[in-house]
Amino acid sequence: MILKRTIPLLIVFAIGVLAFVQEFVPHPWSGKLVDEISTWFKIIGGFAMFLGTYSLLHMHLARIRRKMPSWGYSVFVFIGAAFMIGTGVYNEIQSSSQPAGPNSPFDWFSWGYKYIQVPAGATIFSILAFFMASAAFRTFRARNLAAGLLLISAIIVMLGRVPISEPLSRWLFFGNSQAITQATDIIMEYPNMVAKRGILLGIALGTISQSIRILLGVERSYMGGGD
Amino acid sequence: MALRIPIAISKGIIRFLTKHPRQVIYVLIGVTVIASYMVNISLSFEPSPLAQKVYDKVDSLKPGDHVLLSFDYDPSSEAELQPMALAMLRHCFKKGVIPVVMTHWISGLDLHKMACQEAAADANSHYNKKIVSGRDYVFLGNRPGWQQLILQMNENIRAAFDKDFFDQPTEGMKALEGVTSLKDFELIVNLAAGATVEMWIAYGSDKVDVPFAAGTTAVSAPDLYPWIQSRQLIGFLGGLRGAADYEVMLKYPGRGIRGMPAQSATHVLIVLLILGANVHMFAGRFFGKKKE
Repeated sequence: MILKRTIPLLIVFAIGVLAFVQEFVPHPWSGKLVDEISTWFKIIGGFAMFLGTYSLLHMHLARIRRKMPSWGYSVFVFIGAAFMIGTGVYNEIQSSSQPAGPNSPFDWFSWGYKYIQVPAGATIFSILAFFMASAAFRTFRARNLAAGLLLISAIIVMLGRVPISEPLSRWLFFGNSQAITQATDIIMEYPNMVAKRGILLGIALGTISQSIRILLGVERSYMGGGD
Repeated sequence: MALRIPIAISKGIIRFLTKHPRQVIYVLIGVTVIASYMVNISLSFEPSPLAQKVYDKVDSLKPGDHVLLSFDYDPSSEAELQPMALAMLRHCFKKGVIPVVMTHWISGLDLHKMACQEAAADANSHYNKKIVSGRDYVFLGNRPGWQQLILQMNENIRAAFDKDFFDQPTEGMKALEGVTSLKDFELIVNLAAGATVEMWIAYGSDKVDVPFAAGTTAVSAPDLYPWIQSRQLIGFLGGLRGAADYEVMLKYPGRGIRGMPAQSATHVLIVLLILGANVHMFAGRFFGKKKE
């Protein structure tokens, strides 16, 4: 009980209070403390990366073993991981024998990154354009006044954010090429900002209260065990 | 009689569109984007005032000044943020400002290395300047820690990054002469695909009182307006349009400007689809009532 609960709670409380107090102490020791804690943090971060990789591979291995639906995709996780880890380790061995530099020769790791990971990542993100277009078509209906206002704002912002708004604006507003852009800026700088500020303040207050709960040991879910 | 055929065709299109809206929209978007890239259209436009502020700040720096560029994105947002990164690096190289590049996103490391190398090569061909790593720019790469890393950089940048990405020690590096911590930078810029802008403001720029600018994907851009009003952000570049704005001001066309016709056409198409759907809805209501 003491090892599993009391000591971790005391460590969290002590480190939390220390991190808070050092903000108000201009002494050089305070800076050194931050430096030291940051180094520890980086070491823990390195382990977390290892743990994350292990967890991912373990999950996909289980999917393959149990022949779960779409388990074939999990095989690609191993192929990709083997290729990138293998070429990465090979590069490290090579670079230890020759000086590294920005103009290093061809390597398979960079090739895999440039011609597989970059296009694959960009493709996944670009699919969003199709989903957004389809969602906009299906949801933006002027069913009532509020929906109508949202629809008008969306159309103004959509047009105001692209260069076509300038010739369009010139044609619609008697030569004023910036009318749609100005309307967009008004929407973004007033109604949008008011809503965003409210959300930001809400998040900040929630973060403060959650931090205090963690420091005082009221919130303990981060320790696991379900309480 | 003459109108019967076009009416029949339009009825057929509406029937098909209402039956398979998703498939039709996907095809239309795909065709519009591809066609926009194939047809050579040039659109002239004025840069947004917020992008202008970022450009003006970089342009006001003297040769030898340092700018910290934190590229916090990976391949999924490469299409929007890599053109911004290239434009900002080109501007720094043109002015003789020293960009110090780093990232919190380990999955984007090679992308950021490519940006540095491409911009350095461009500076050679375009501005006739030979850009050398460690002298004219630094690519620090990645260290874990997120906000803790920023706090360490506030104290000592060499403790946070003892070596650069190419394994060169940062101690004694020419490009970092005069830089010991974040407060020695004239500007901090964060190109972000996630929530790192708030992190840089809270733990970095506000603590050391250094001007801060950002560049984000178009969907994240509305989140930044409160920081503009509170003057914690001097300006920002929003999405591909932000990159295009910067390229226009720099007079160096790149992927941002090239993408504008496709983005314009797609936005117009979506607006037309929305208007069409609303006309269809109101027409349905009107004629439905008439039948009753």
